[in-house]
Amino acid sequence: MPKYAMVIDLDRCMGCRACMEACKVENNTPTAHFWMYVFRFEEGHYPNTHVWFLPRPCMHCDNAPCVKVCPVGARYKREDGLVATDWDRCIGCRYCEVACPYGVNFFNWKDPRKNAYLDWDDADLRPRTDGNSPPYRNPDLDRRYGKEGRRTAGGGRLRGVIEKCTFCVHRVERGLKPACVANCPAFALLFGDLEDPASEVSQVLKRKPSFRLLEELGTEPRVYYVGGHPPHPESKPVEEIVARV
Amino acid sequence: MATRTETLPYGVGRFTAGWWLLLAVLAVLVGWGLYAYSRQLAEGLVVTGLRDIGSMAGAAWGLYIAFDIYFVGVSFAGITMAALIRLLRLEELRPVSRMAELLTIVALILAAFSVLPDLGQPVRGIVNLLRYARPQSPFFGTFTLVISGYLFASLVYFYLDGRRDAALLARIPSPLQGFYRLWAAGYRDTPAERERHHRTAFWLAIAIVPLLVTAHSTLGFVFGIQSGRPGWFSTLQAPAFVVMAGVSGIGLLLVIAAVFRHVLGERERLHEGIFRWLGGLLALLVLVYLYFTVAELLTTTYTGHEVEVRLTLALLNGPYAWLFWVSMGALVLALASLVLPYVPSLVPVRVPSFQPAFARAAGLAAAGAGLVLMIYRHSPRLVPVAGAGGPEPEWVGWVLAGLAVVFVLSWFPLFARSVVAAGVAGGLLVNVAAVGKRLLIVVPSQTHGTLLPYGPGSYTPTWVEYSVVAGLFALGTLLYTLFVKVFPIMEVAEER
Ligand code: SF4
Ligand code: SF4
Repeated sequence: MPKYAMVIDLDRCMGCRACMEACKVENNTPTAHFWMYVFRFEEGHYPNTHVWFLPRPCMHCDNAPCVKVCPVGARYKREDGLVATDWDRCIGCRYCEVACPYGVNFFNWKDPRKNAYLDWDDADLRPRTDGNSPPYRNPDLDRRYGKEGRRTAGGGRLRGVIEKCTFCVHRVERGLKPACVANCPAFALLFGDLEDPASEVSQVLKRKPSFRLLEELGTEPRVYYVGGHPPHPESKPVEEIVARV
Repeated sequence: MATRTETLPYGVGRFTAGWWLLLAVLAVLVGWGLYAYSRQLAEGLVVTGLRDIGSMAGAAWGLYIAFDIYFVGVSFAGITMAALIRLLRLEELRPVSRMAELLTIVALILAAFSVLPDLGQPVRGIVNLLRYARPQSPFFGTFTLVISGYLFASLVYFYLDGRRDAALLARIPSPLQGFYRLWAAGYRDTPAERERHHRTAFWLAIAIVPLLVTAHSTLGFVFGIQSGRPGWFSTLQAPAFVVMAGVSGIGLLLVIAAVFRHVLGERERLHEGIFRWLGGLLALLVLVYLYFTVAELLTTTYTGHEVEVRLTLALLNGPYAWLFWVSMGALVLALASLVLPYVPSLVPVRVPSFQPAFARAAGLAAAGAGLVLMIYRHSPRLVPVAGAGGPEPEWVGWVLAGLAVVFVLSWFPLFARSVVAAGVAGGLLVNVAAVGKRLLIVVPSQTHGTLLPYGPGSYTPTWVEYSVVAGLFALGTLLYTLFVKVFPIMEVAEER
């Protein structure tokens, strides 16, 4: 069984947010949902300031608080370490969301078709959209994945269920890397199998000191950061983060 | 031994114009709540003020969850009081026993109903909870122990406790005779039967007390064992839940007892001793709760983690200060009201009094301004703007709170004279505080308790949430109102 993990090199991240974009395109997430989010921080005092960036996917925790609290087992841990959300089973109680310390869960407050970036039924677009499946009904994300055959990709194009980063389970199962990793122009994001000592992630983690976010909570995240430091009270976000639907 | 009376006792079966009017008002309110809920079913939870934690700067749990725990809390009173009355042989409290039991049952039904609107997929909620329930989730305890186990135990207790009266009423010819016969189920109230009955109820009462503490603790654990939410992660959470449950439940029981004392004109049976006893217990519980609050605040501010401090500051002096101080003020005022009846006999002081007319004006002004503000802020036509707080300046809230305090203070002379009035005021005030504290537990830890630097969020309920909650209250009152017309709300008095 592979043991998937992500390594994020903060020295390489240049804050371009291509990963956020790639994730949106790949997973067709509704407006204001950011499965991948890149914090931008400023530290120090003028003129000696330093700006840095911190990508934040779901941490796919080994001791995941969200899995523990789910009353129906819709949120669960796969054998390969991915924390999956079965949107066929989720009852929409949002307990996983309030239990997660990282703020990576997104609820479908609206019908996703009313919450897409593009109005698929727009008359002007008819010639191009007609006959194609709309983003909120991407057949690839509707499929069942994993040994247990549950609908975990795409997080649920359904009103009233929770969704979050899947580590692109539909790509990983085909031997591809998650979309954010594949699209990072600076190779700041790495993905691979920790069981395999020759994998890129194992190699980097052996060479460089690393940390994980909020490690002190004992959540055992599967996302490692190298080449930087965790945010601290001196790290001021450079923008207000309010993306409402 | 009880003898035949020709009419049913305590207004059972007699429908007055006032009763019909009340029923109509309640039905309209329930209908309004249902309408609001239908909007939510049609549009999704976007019609509420809830939003995602983190980059959406919102709260995922709000009014619905706060009222869920409030209702479960209220349910504490009934069965505890009934069990205490039986176990400690508090004979003079017998008349409130059934009111209390009914309060438990109604409150638990409301609690179950207030979870439903919170779910994104309510139908799945019912089906999947049965199919896939996971005991490891703290919610499991809430659903099984609280809603089912507790409700079941209360119903059984309620049924057993009512059998004697049902047997008595079945002897009186009335349209409900068949129903009473069914309830009595062969029970005749012979001394032997009564003895056996007492024993069963006694053991049931003993079994219920630990169930009760466990049930209310599980609810605390829903929050208390989440290390990822500062403000929730606390050992005190479960005990504080139990105490606050007692506070709100007994407070409401005081109010209900006073209402029946007035409506049924039962000054003899619902005598002042009952109010003195319940008021004393309530005052004691309020004191314990205040102590918990101080201990908690000291811990979080003295050495607290940076996030804990930020959260506490948001409560004491930030966007939630208004709610926090109103709740604390209500608790303190309640405590003062409850001990007032004892003051004149202890110390020969004259309680200073305002003109009641002035007080009434102040109270009306506060209530009216509050209502206008709420309607203005939550009118369906106002679209909630991203991250925006309330449009009105902060001092408006403080002025309203000040007026409300003046209003309560002005009644103090009355409280000093009447233990019943003091009990009602105390009961109402602690329930204001209970709702406030429930909201303060649920919401700020989400908007101001993020461990990653997301920045502060905000949550303002919308008219849909207020309407659903109002509908729930109306439903509870409705159930109560209907019940008192089919069954005596107090144990039928023994014939002397
Ligand atoms: S980051 Fe949050 S959602 Fe992801 S596995 Fe950990 S607790 Fe669950
Ligand atoms: S919202 Fe869905 S996945 Fe999350 S805890 Fe509730 S049922 Fe489980």
